[in-house]
Formats: sequence, C-alpha cells, structure tokens
Amino acid sequence: MPRLCALCSTQRPILKRPKTGQQICKDCFFYVFETEVHNTILEAKLFQPGDRVAIGASGGKDSTVLAHVMKTLNDRYDYGLELFLLSIDEGITGYRDDSLETVKQNQKEYNLPLKILSYNEFYGWTMDSIVEEVGRRNNCTFCGVFRRQALDRGAAMLGVDHIVTGHNADDVAETVLMNIMRGDIARLGRCTAICTQGEDTIKRSKPFKYTYEKEIVMYAYFKRLTYFSTECIYSPDAYRGHARSFLKMLEAARPSAIIDIIYSGEACEVGEEATKELKERKTCKRCGYIASNDLCKACTLLEGLERGMGNAGITDRGRKQLEASGPTPDGLRTIPFFQMNASTPTDATSSVTTSGQGSGARISPVVDVSAG
Amino acid sequence: MSTSCGNPTVEKDALMPRRRKFDRTKTCIKCKDNQGNVTIRHAVYCKECFFPMLNQKFKRSLEPTINPIPDGPRKKNLYPPGNLLIAFSGGLGSTVLLDLVHKGYVASRKPREDADAAVRKKDPKNEMVWKEVHVCYVEVCGAFPAMRDRTEDVRRVVESYDGFKFVPLRVEDSFDTKWWESVGGKPDKGELRVDITNEDLILLPSSNATSPLSALHTYLSSLPAPTAIPTTLQTLTRLLLLHTARATSSSHFLFGTCLTSLSVSLVSLVAQGGGFNIKEEVQEDWGGEGGRQAVRIVRPLKDIVMKECAMYAWWRGLEVVGQEVWPDARQGIGGITKDFIVGLEKDYPSTVSTITRTCAKLAPKETPAGICTLCNRPAQGHVQDWKTRISIRSLSPSLASPQQPSLAPYLCYMCHTTLTSKSSKKPSSGSSSAGGEEGNEVPLPLWVGARVRRMEREEMRDKVKEFLLDKEEEEEGYAEPI
Repeated sequence: MPRLCALCSTQRPILKRPKTGQQICKDCFFYVFETEVHNTILEAKLFQPGDRVAIGASGGKDSTVLAHVMKTLNDRYDYGLELFLLSIDEGITGYRDDSLETVKQNQKEYNLPLKILSYNEFYGWTMDSIVEEVGRRNNCTFCGVFRRQALDRGAAMLGVDHIVTGHNADDVAETVLMNIMRGDIARLGRCTAICTQGEDTIKRSKPFKYTYEKEIVMYAYFKRLTYFSTECIYSPDAYRGHARSFLKMLEAARPSAIIDIIYSGEACEVGEEATKELKERKTCKRCGYIASNDLCKACTLLEGLERGMGNAGITDRGRKQLEASGPTPDGLRTIPFFQMNASTPTDATSSVTTSGQGSGARISPVVDVSAG
Repeated sequence: MSTSCGNPTVEKDALMPRRRKFDRTKTCIKCKDNQGNVTIRHAVYCKECFFPMLNQKFKRSLEPTINPIPDGPRKKNLYPPGNLLIAFSGGLGSTVLLDLVHKGYVASRKPREDADAAVRKKDPKNEMVWKEVHVCYVEVCGAFPAMRDRTEDVRRVVESYDGFKFVPLRVEDSFDTKWWESVGGKPDKGELRVDITNEDLILLPSSNATSPLSALHTYLSSLPAPTAIPTTLQTLTRLLLLHTARATSSSHFLFGTCLTSLSVSLVSLVAQGGGFNIKEEVQEDWGGEGGRQAVRIVRPLKDIVMKECAMYAWWRGLEVVGQEVWPDARQGIGGITKDFIVGLEKDYPSTVSTITRTCAKLAPKETPAGICTLCNRPAQGHVQDWKTRISIRSLSPSLASPQQPSLAPYLCYMCHTTLTSKSSKKPSSGSSSAGGEEGNEVPLPLWVGARVRRMEREEMRDKVKEFLLDKEEEEEGYAEPI
C-alpha cells in the first residue's frame, strides 16, 4: 500500500518537513506553513485592523516569501492591513541593484506600493564607497547600522505603524548562540522578542520567527516565487559564520535544535543586576534617532567616514582618536533629523510618490517611486 | 636563500610572527622571582605558586556555598548541615576535585565532633568540615554491551585516599527496586510504563517488572534519536547521584566540572531547550520540598580551565582512570557542542569564560510551574501548547482523551523533547539489540513513577479537598524520597 500524507492521510506525500520530519503532501505543507505564521501573528497580537505595515523587502527568499504570505493571510483572515514594500538600496554594485529588480517584479506580482531608499541619498555614501574607505573587515557594521536607521526613516516617511522583516527561526537561533558566546547581554535580552518597540521607534516584528529557513525555500520552490539568491559580495560577519555552521551541525543531528534554542532564549532574561549595567536609552543630539551615547551609532560612523577615520565607530581606540582630533568641523555632512511619522499621509499612493518629506532633512532622500 | 616552497624570492619576514603566549615576561607573576613553568590565559606561574593559586580559586568557589546562609565577605566557621558527596567519573576534573577536597578538607584533620555543627565555635581548620565524605561512581557500561566495566579501577583510585567512603552504582539501578528502596523509596506494584511513540506520552498501567538491565535497554532503544541517548544517560546518572546524596545525608554534592566543561554544558543545555535551567546548571538546591534538607549541588572547579586541571594532575602525579567514550556521544548535542567550543576557543580566546559569565547574568523569565518528574528541575508549564502552536503535527486535535493519563504535562521542555524529538537517523546504540520486545511500552525510571503518582493524588485531592476532614490520613502510602 502506498504511503500517505502524515497529515491528511489522503494524498501522496511529496516532501519531508524539515521542522517535524513528517512526510506530507504539497497542500498540507502550504496549510501548515501559512497557519503556523498566522498562529504566531495571533499569539503575539502583532497587528490591529487598519494598521499600515511595511514589509522590509530585499528581494531575497525570506522577504519575498514574507510578502507573499502576508498578502495571503491579510486576504484570507481579513486582518485589514494596508501593506507596503520598503526596500533599502545599500549601493552594492552587482548585488543590490540586481536584487532590487526582483523586488520591483514582486511589487508588480503582489500589487503592493513600493518605496526604495538609498544609503547614498541618506548618508552620502554607498557600501561600495564605504568598503573602499574602510576595507572589508568591518563593513558589515556600517551596513547593519545604516540599514536599521534607513528602514525606520523610510517607514516614518510612509507613515506606517509597523515594519515586518523576514528574519527566520535560523536567524533567531543563530543570534541567541552568538550573543551567548560573545557576551552581548543587551542584544541577548531582546533577540528572541518577536516584536520590538521603543517609545520613539516604529514597531518591528518577525512573523517568521518560528519558520525554518529550509521551509521558506521549500515554500518559494513549490509556489514558484521569484527571488534573488546571491549572497552579499562583501565578506560576511565571520563570527556569525561560526555560529551558523554550529547551528547547521546541531540541526543535522536533531532538527528540532533550532526551535529548542529559541525556546531557551525565550525562557530566560537578563537578570536584575546585569540590567543595571546596561546603558540608558537616549536620543541622538545630532539626528534625533535612538542612541546609547550623545551621538547615535550611525552619526558616529558617518562622522568617522567623513573625517577619514573609518574606525571611529568601530573600536574604542578609533573613537578616542576621533575625539582627540578636535571638534566636529562645520559643514560636515550629517544624517537628516529623524522624527516619528514625519508625514502621515492619508493616501498610501501619495506617500510613496512624494520624495524628501523627512522634516528638517538636510540631505533630501531621493526615492524610487512606483506604486502598484 | 632557500625556502620550503622552493621560491627564493619569498622573504623570511613575510611570515606572520608567532603570537606570544604570555603578555609581558617569562617570570612568575606571583613571586616575581622564579622562571615560569606554565601559562594560564596569558599569565605566567611557576610550579610553586601554581598550587596555592589553584587551591585559592577552588576554595573561593566552594566555601561561600558551605553554610546554609552565605556569610558575606567576612569569613566565618564552616558548618554544613550534613555530609558531603563527591561525584566521581574517573575523568580529569573529578580526579582533580577528589585530590583538592582530600588535601583541603580531609587529610590531617581530626574527625568532626558530634556537637551541633551550627553552634560550633572551634577553628574549622582543626577538624573535618563534613562528618562523612562519600564518593559515588555510576558505571554506564550496562547501556553499551561492548563497554568495559571500570568500577574496580575507580575503586582503586578512591580507596587510595583515606577518609572517603566509596559508593559504586550502575546506571541500570534507575530501574532497580532494590536500589530505590535503599535510598528510601516506597516499593511499588510494578513499573510505570509509557507509550513513547505518542507525543502525549500516554501512561500505561503498571506491568510486572523486568530486570533493571533489560528495562534500561528497552528505555534507551525506544528513544527517537541518537542525540537523546547521551542526554538520557546524563539525566539518569545525575538523578542516581542526587538520590544517593539524600540517602547518605549529604547537604553538599560536588561535581568536578571545570570552566571549559561548564561552558560546553551551558551551550549544550541551551541547544536542547533547557534555557530555563541555566542557573541550575551552575548551582542548585535539590529536593528541599516539604521542609526537607535540600542537597546543594556545587561545581567548585567552575573558575579553573581544563589546562589548569591537566597541569595539576600531571604535577601531582594523579592517576586519571579516564572515561569510556560512549558510542554516539560525538553525534550527541553535547559532543557537537564540545568540538565546536574547544575549536572556537583557539581562535577567540576567553570564549569559555565569556559563556559562563554571560549565563551567570541570565535569570528565568517566569516562576516555575512545577518540577519535572524526570530530571527533577524547575519547569515551565504549557510545553505542549507551545509546541503545537509553532509546529502543527496533526490536522485534528490531540488524540489523547482527557481521561487517558499522560506523562507530557509532568515534563519540562527539554525532557519532553528528548523523549519525542525525532531524527532522520535511527539510534545505533548497541543497547538497541536488547530492547524492543516490549513493543511501544517503555518502563520509566522509578523516581518518575513515584512523583507522577504523588502528583495524580494531589490533583485528586484538590478536586475533593472541600470534603476532606482529615488531611494527614489520605497522604499515607505515597511517600517518595524527594
């Protein structure tokens, strides 16, 4: 007798689920994949009807599948969300320019408004020029810090309440391990949270927090979704690479290891004593974004770049060198002032067709606009 | 100029200079006089200064935990409320621990007087801190047919010290009613069994007991993944030792876990879903329920790296019996973690101390919902609900009816996962050959049955408590030693 799907017991199984090891049919796979994301959204009460939600879209597998699933669930369960695609152009020739083409294609397929913001317009630097200045060693720090701010600023310009990103279970588990191994208590405390929101920042959440990377690829494969699969051409974070290879070994030995690590991360928190050691959250005196010091990380990094001291925001020695070299010269390029929901347009299309709406922006962000 | 690659244009200076293993000088940083003999994390020590330094680290870890309530910075007399049990595996850490305890707290000390320890005012250096010191070894060769029994080797090492009482155990004792009764357990009408193929872990009626060894084989061969075998053996060993600690009236129970092993076990715990028990992995008080004396589990080598242990054992000429390598141990989560952390430490020095310091800053997010019946550690509730929500395994609700007693609600996440998380590989343990004839019915370690029955009684009592007149009477007959 032929084997039947472990879930519906009627169809022939065509895949083995990486998360559970069950042999199931295609329809059941789509059902469990989407329902688990729906359960995650409901359990965490991520959205309210009428929310304007930006999907951080890079053109990669995670964000492509996220856009598809968010649209599907929004229609199926009537979440009442107004969805947007928000992309950041880091300025990496041969990588991001190609992947943005994929995002534009997705925008047409899903009929969602798209907004693209570039590092060049915001910071006056592309990743290509940053790598030319600082080399490949610490370029991921610049990219990560600049992207986070750019997403928040883009969301504020769109007037959205919420950004959803395609971080998956593998990413979360890997971050838990990495933060334990390098003693990053501040990040360890928040890395398993499904939703993060400060008083003055836009809500960010990870609906794929419990979704395995392999299943995301599987979903894209069976749904025939188009995504850009090339890795970034600049060197990846070496330490994260170690954590990732360890996680892959654990997953090979026991597929539930990814979820088990997330469960561990959720079960503990930073103790009271250690919380006192953490820095108080401030507002950047220069650009108004959240900061741990007088200047936010992005402003420190940018000032270092502008003054030819790329290490200023990376190492303590670099920061001291910057301080020793005298006060910030006048006329230095700075990041536009950040204001939550600088514009709150009533019409989604109008928000993406207007460029340079950030209040007090000294560098006017140029926006590639194309409404669906 | 010739070079190894034969290219004459390569300059010698082009080679990366070898990194120095010590920071400043080759002279001992303690006495600043002798030439150094060993480098410990960039600090150089001579042989004479190494021993007091290690001994000081050991005492600094152990002594603040000896009195029931810590005295703070001011050192007072040590007055443990019970005896001492040392877990001995024959490995490097426990061999060093045994020697340090003997040198520091047993050798050249008078037997302790019978006066109440809490009111003693005498200098503790003159007499033994603990009245009795037991050394317990758990032999696991029963789990693997081809493995050599090392009990006699271990006995020889333990008996080479005076003042230690040797307690040999076998891992199959977990299923042996004689052992259970010897540690104060109540005899039962048969083994409690569980259907391990069902994620609800349905409890089955007790049946006639099989031999302990055959029960162990059935239990191990029923586990769903090879990674579950090392984890299970560790849990069984830990619980055998804990019950022995209680039976020997021990208030303190020492493990020879060094800093390197501790960081491996912490990451391994996180990787298996045991993040809620990070604190217990470093130090825990066990079995203090119902006003009983808790056993405090301490790891006094937790600030000493493996290299220091190795140097200590070498210079003291200690015999390290060594541990048998378990089949599949390298494939286990612990084995993978050990390989990874030891490798990472080479490229990123101080990784092991960073891991332990980071974990020391973590605390459980919720108050425990109960104690896991299998590992006896604090557990969170609603494990199955969480698992069902994030990974759908059935299109219909759970098949287990509310009437069917189930083990799953009494387990912590990690134990539930160990018993249910499947792997694409089948367990290849040698033990599998002996098991399986019982079908899906798997016997449970004896402490599980005792606790499950007690919890079932408590639930029943909760339902009828308004109608009970005499509390004492209905508790009768369901005692267990924890």
